[in-house]
This record gives sequence, C-alpha cells and structure tokens, in this order.
Amino acid sequence: MAIFTRRRFLAATGVVAGGVTAVYMFRQRAEAVAPTFIFPDNEAAATWVQIRPDGSCMMYFPRMDMGQNANTGLAQIVAEELNLDVGEIDGVLPSTSDVPPFAVTAGSMSLTAFSRPVAVAAATLRENLRQRAAGKLNKPLSEILDDAGGFRTAGGQVVSYRDLANGAGAVIELDESKEIPHLYTFDSSRQKQQVGKSAQPLGMRALVTGAPVYTGDVPMDDVLYGRAVLPPVRNARMATVDTTGVERVKGFVALVEQTEFVGVVCKTPSAVDAAMTKIKVTWDLQQPINQQEIDRLVDVDAAMSEGNLEHVLVDEAHRRDVNWAVDLRFDVQVQSHAAQEARVAIARFDDSGDRRKLEIWTGTQDPFAIKRFAAMDTGMAEDDIVVYPQRLGGGFGGREHYEVERDAVRLARAVKRPVKVQWTRADEFMASRSRPASSHRVRIAADEAGNLQDWWHGYVTGHVVLSRERLPDWLLPIARLSEDFGVTKGALSPYRAVHQRIECKDVDLPIDLGVWRSLNCAPAVFARESAMDELALRQGVHPVDFKVSQMSDDWPRLSNCLQQVRKLSQKRELPAGNGFGRGYACGTYDGRCYVAVSADVHVDQTTQQIKVVHMCCAQDVGMAVNPDQLRAQMESNLSWGIGMALMERFEVADNTIQSSNFDNYTVPRMSDMPSVDTLVIDQPDIPPAGAGEVALIAVPAAIANAIRNACGYRALRLPISFADTQQV
Amino acid sequence: MKLTVNGEQRQVAEDWRDETLLTVLREHLGLTGTRFSCGIGQCGACLVHIEGAPVSSCLVPIKDVAGKNVLTIEGIAPQDGSLHPLQQAWLDANAPQCGYCQSGQIMQALALLQRNPEPDDADIDAAMSANLCRCGTYDRIRTSIKSAAVVMKEIS
Repeated sequence: MAIFTRRRFLAATGVVAGGVTAVYMFRQRAEAVAPTFIFPDNEAAATWVQIRPDGSCMMYFPRMDMGQNANTGLAQIVAEELNLDVGEIDGVLPSTSDVPPFAVTAGSMSLTAFSRPVAVAAATLRENLRQRAAGKLNKPLSEILDDAGGFRTAGGQVVSYRDLANGAGAVIELDESKEIPHLYTFDSSRQKQQVGKSAQPLGMRALVTGAPVYTGDVPMDDVLYGRAVLPPVRNARMATVDTTGVERVKGFVALVEQTEFVGVVCKTPSAVDAAMTKIKVTWDLQQPINQQEIDRLVDVDAAMSEGNLEHVLVDEAHRRDVNWAVDLRFDVQVQSHAAQEARVAIARFDDSGDRRKLEIWTGTQDPFAIKRFAAMDTGMAEDDIVVYPQRLGGGFGGREHYEVERDAVRLARAVKRPVKVQWTRADEFMASRSRPASSHRVRIAADEAGNLQDWWHGYVTGHVVLSRERLPDWLLPIARLSEDFGVTKGALSPYRAVHQRIECKDVDLPIDLGVWRSLNCAPAVFARESAMDELALRQGVHPVDFKVSQMSDDWPRLSNCLQQVRKLSQKRELPAGNGFGRGYACGTYDGRCYVAVSADVHVDQTTQQIKVVHMCCAQDVGMAVNPDQLRAQMESNLSWGIGMALMERFEVADNTIQSSNFDNYTVPRMSDMPSVDTLVIDQPDIPPAGAGEVALIAVPAAIANAIRNACGYRALRLPISFADTQQV
Repeated sequence: MKLTVNGEQRQVAEDWRDETLLTVLREHLGLTGTRFSCGIGQCGACLVHIEGAPVSSCLVPIKDVAGKNVLTIEGIAPQDGSLHPLQQAWLDANAPQCGYCQSGQIMQALALLQRNPEPDDADIDAAMSANLCRCGTYDRIRTSIKSAAVVMKEIS
C-alpha cells in the first residue's frame, strides 16, 4: 500500500499493536493482568493431541467454545492430518492443570493463530506413528502409506492407530530441530478430506437434547447458593451498607462482608433473591453517570476544535482547508453484550489434605487469567488452583475477567462449602463492560472527475482494551502510552486519497468499558461507509461503482466482496412500492478478513417502523475450513448488526445503569431477522482467518445506506428510529 | 409435594417449596436442560410445557404445579435413544451456536407444531418471537421448524 508503511499498517490493525506488546511485557512483572496473551507455538500444541490407549484420538480444545465453534475447525485440521473423520476426534475442554496456559479466546484469532500449530502437532503425531508402523511391519518408512485411521503398505498390510497404540496410547514426540512434517492442511494441491467440508460442530447433539454443558449444569454435592452486590461502575466505592433483616430470610446461611464486598449465602436460589433485597448499598462515584456526561466526553467536534487528536494514525499531506464534498458527523451509542447465559461460577475449597486446593467451574474466555486472579485474590499458590472451563452461553468479548468467579470464591471460602453464584439479568447489565459510545467527523473532498483527493476522519471514543477496568491503576498510564488497538481497529480507510489524516482520541467514560464484538471496527466502518455512500449519491454514481473505483489497489479481496454481494443482492428484486431501499457497505477486520453486506429495508409509513426485509453477505477470510460455520457466523453477525443499527442502546441515568433486562434493552428477535443469502469466498491458498466478528462491521452502514435509498434520510446517529427518518 | 416431570412422578423436598419451577427443575431435580436467562419471562430460555401449554418456568411458583404434568427438553425424545424430529431438524440445520437458548426454542417450536402442524413464515415468526437467541440463529430455526413439520406430519 502506497500510503502506509507496513509497520504502521500492522500497528493500526492491531496485529503487532503496542497495546498488546505492553500488556504482554508487563504481565511478566504483574502476573494478575488480563488477558492471557500467549501466542500458540508448536511446543504447546504438542500437548493438545494424543492417541489414547484404545487407539482413539483425543484433543484438548485450546479455545473456549461460545458458539463460534472454532474448535471444530481445529479438529477438522487434526482429522485431516491424521486421516481421520472429524467425528472421530474426541474433544475435551481442558482444565488449567491439563495443559500449559493458552491465550484468551478473543479477537477472532482462533483459526488465524492456532491452525498452524495444531496442524504441526497432528502431523508430527502422524509421523511418530508412521515410524512405529514401520517398526511393527518391519518395512522402510517410505513404504508406510497413509490409510484411514492408520497406515497400509502397497502389499496390502494394514495397521491401525489402535494397533499402534498398543494399549498404551501415543503422545507427540516433538523434536524442534527436525524439519516440520508435510502439513496436509496447507497443501493446496491436496484433495482434502476434512478441511473445507461443512462438518457438524462437535457437541451439537448435547445442545438439542438439554444435556449438561454450561457451568450452571455442573452437578455439585453439598452446594449452597450465593451472590454479591455489584457496583454500577467498578471504580465506585461503597459509601454505606445496610443489611438489616437479612439474617431473618428463610434459608439464610451467611452474610459475608469484606472491603468493598458484601454478599450472601443461602440454601436455595430464591432465598438468595430474597436476601439480596435486604442488602442496601449506596455508592460514592468518581464521575456522574448519565448520558449527557457521555455525550460531552465523546464530542468529536469539541475535541477537533482544540487541534490534533491524541493519536494520529495516518497523516499524509493532510490539508485542513479544502472545499469538502462531504462533511458529516456520526454518533454511535453504547452497547452491551447481553449474552444469553447469565453468568455462573462455582467454587469449592478443599483443605482436608495437607495441601489446600481451590476448584473453580466457570464459563470464561480466559481460564488462565481466572486462575491468576484467584491466586492473587486468595493469596494461594497458582498450583493449588484449578479452573474447569465450561461452554459459554455467548461471550462476544464480555467474559474475560475474574468477576462472578471472585464472588463464588469469596463466598465459598467464607462458608467452607461449595458455592454457586448465578448472576441475575440485572447483574449482567450492571457488570457490562460495554462498547463505548463514539462520535466521528468524516470529511471527504474530490476532484472535478469525482476522485477522492482528501480524507479526514477524526473520532473520539472510550478506551477499549486499555480501559480503566481492564488494567490495574499502576499499569494504566504506562500502557496508555501505546495506542489502544481496540480503539484503532477498523480506522484505516481502504479508499485511495492523496491527502489523508485519520486521528482519534480515547477517553475514560463514566461507565465500564471493554471488548465488544469487533471492537471499534463496526462504529468506524459505519461512519466511513455512510460518508462514502453519501458522496457517491451526491455525484450521481452508484455507491458500489463509486467505492470500487476509489478503492486502493491493495484491497482486491475487499473490492471483490463488494462486487460479489451486489451480484447476490440483484438476484432478488427490491419490493415495489414506497419506502423500500437497498444499501451496501464493506469493510475489513484486521486486514485479513473481508466482508460486504447488502441490506433491503422497508421504511414503513403505515406501521411506523423500519424493517430489514432481506440481507446478503459476501465474506472472504481466506481458506474456508468449515464453510457452513462461516455462514453461521455471518448470519449471527447480521443479526448483531440489525441490533446495532436499529435497536440496542445501553441506557444510563441518575448515576446508575438503567438497562436491566430484555424488556428495556431490546435485541433482535425472529420477527426482526430477515431472510439472508450468504456467500463464502474460499481462498484455499491463504491461511484461514477468523470470522466471529467480521460481517457485523458492514451491517449498520448497509442498513443506513438502504434507509437513505428508501426515503432520503441520512442516518447520523445509531440506533436509527423511524422518527429519525421523518426529519427529511 | 409431588409433580410429574417427563412422565415420572417427582417429590419436592420441604426446603424447595418456595422456589420457582425453574430452580426446582435445575437445582433440585437435576434437569438442567431448562435454562435461566432473564427471570421475567422475556426470553423463553426456561420454556417448558405445563399440561401441554408453553410456559416460562422462571415465573411459575413450584406450588402452582403441584400434581401437574411438566414436560422439559429432556423428555421429548423417544425412549429408544433416537431424537425427536425437531431435535433432528435442529441438528441437520446446525442451528445452535452458543446453544444456551435452544432448549427453550425447541420447546416453543413443539408447542407451535402441536397447535398448528403447518405453520407459514408469519406463524413461525409470531410464535417464535417470544424466544430470544442472542447469537441470531433465527433463520436456521425457521428452516428447522419447517423441515420438522414435514417429518411430524408424515409420522402422524
């Protein structure tokens, strides 16, 4: 790319972002810093795959499953390398004692970062077994040929993994000095048997039969139930605590009061509900919590009027005083994850032996961080703590921290019995580490032929990965010397312009912030793709033609997605009549994942509603390991995009969090979900990248552009309401 | 206090008589396929059938179901280990993502097909919009219901 150096490009997309480096570096000094960021290597991967004594293949899943089914993709790779069927891989979620630490499951990194080490592990195991086979059959290695579930010779001798396991099994003997074996997964000339096929996600049967899979389903003898009071914001301090009458609640067992902590333990769940109503806490806040305060802090125009913003991501022959063809401000709301599982953790202490032991069951994106934090919280040695991670009922970036686990650990320790803590839905919203609000100013100038000349995108948003809630106070100022890759994600423009400036400022907001599906990417793409759409319309050019013509030559895959989605959308006529419109948008996540979306909407004057009636999505994330699951992730992201564009808004007022349940934080329901057409653009020669948070980024702009097409209204603020569209 | 769950008579111990049907099913009777999500009947994750009708079990005091018949996700498949046509259709479509809401979705779909064996898209949307799926698996749920409806009609 002409206008960026590679280094700057990578930094801005987060691949080698300073934030990660800083956090990783400082983790050496202070162990209890989240998240766990360890790049998977061949040595670690060698602990994940083995042949059991009975010849079956067991795989410790190194990713936390929360619906993205990344482990199934990794199991397909193992199956490919070992000539097995993916259904023969017995996947096990490892405890923190079973395997060396692995990275937090986040950032759509699972296939990107894990596919190769997993392939190396499985291929190494295959070659270890081939050597055994050669010995067993007394043949040279070159005569031992692959066979389903084992090996064969040209002469028809067959030896299975079961034969080779010989009642003892086989673990990987990794010799890093040796050449890496032939990786079938990445051999584009190979006719693949597993990779590239739409395998059914492992463990799916349990999900349709109601089998126990989540933390709350774990059976536990002698268990009690508990919960602690959560603050409206994590830097609030308890001012007063009144627990009058809590002991008289039927089923009450114990009240646990510690510094900045008050919780209760009871015999049954509804006794906990009753006891919690008796505990009244008032809070000292460091900042008022209300929408006006958020609006004031993320006001891009106020910030830009004071000069350059804090982080200049691109600055190429920037010009301030130009005749702007488009000069628009876009505002994006705060959003919560609202995962469907209300969090649960179970903690059990055992100090009956000569060594104390703490066991924690929890659905978390980062089991090894939970272990570190539990050690710090309890003063116990990490070796005495085991975390048993469970499937998550949705993660979306919100489940990386020691929180519900903390409550369970403290309560269980106090009562010397296993304690299960189930958060309420209100707790889920109260503890939300939300996607920050942001405001964007996008200015574009074009020459007489209509080609882009100037691009100036400034925005202000809350911190994301370097938010106050994610790092200890001592580390915060040091870490913030680097750019926050959650804040810069998605900021780079794929469009060519001679004069460019992209700059941003990140601020503390009066609410807790964190990682939300796609981080800043969806807000940034909404602003950029809305502005480009508007410019195209003002020039009288079809937005897709215009964007394709203005796209830098470095983005052929993005351009292809956009053109493919246009074709896909044209298979279906836009319904006749007033108020229907079609819009397009495209974007890239991390420079490895490309997507374009079209949306057909109906701005219905009769029902006074905006309804998305059809959507198309074309996505290119490199090698399509499991095409059906790529489609599933596209569908999920389309639904999230509808919520972001039209429905969801995290509400605060009167110094507290107002969003408390699905009646006042509305997320898409089936009646909001249109029919969808998805296209997987397979690139067998390009290593796979993630898809968990990709398609979402283009949806809000596609919907906003469709509304513009339907009724002329240019949406400048999310979520868009029908009333907004009447301002035309 | 007794109730019948999935055809089996179950006893509710004294300590659990102020609980909801949901917490009794999950924490006392060990039937954890029915799940807690909102606690106010807004999401359908805890949906079960009481005397054949779909109900959010988080809202039902256990005392109100004394002597009644309750059907949960664990009770809809035949005894022979095969799956109910709805469960099979869900598997065929790879409908679940995180999976947390899916027990409730299947129970809602079962209630729909019992009262309307041939629902169209509008019928499906109307009935199923009581159930949230944050992962957004709605399009696959629609597909699953339609294919299960065909199979169930053939069986009946």
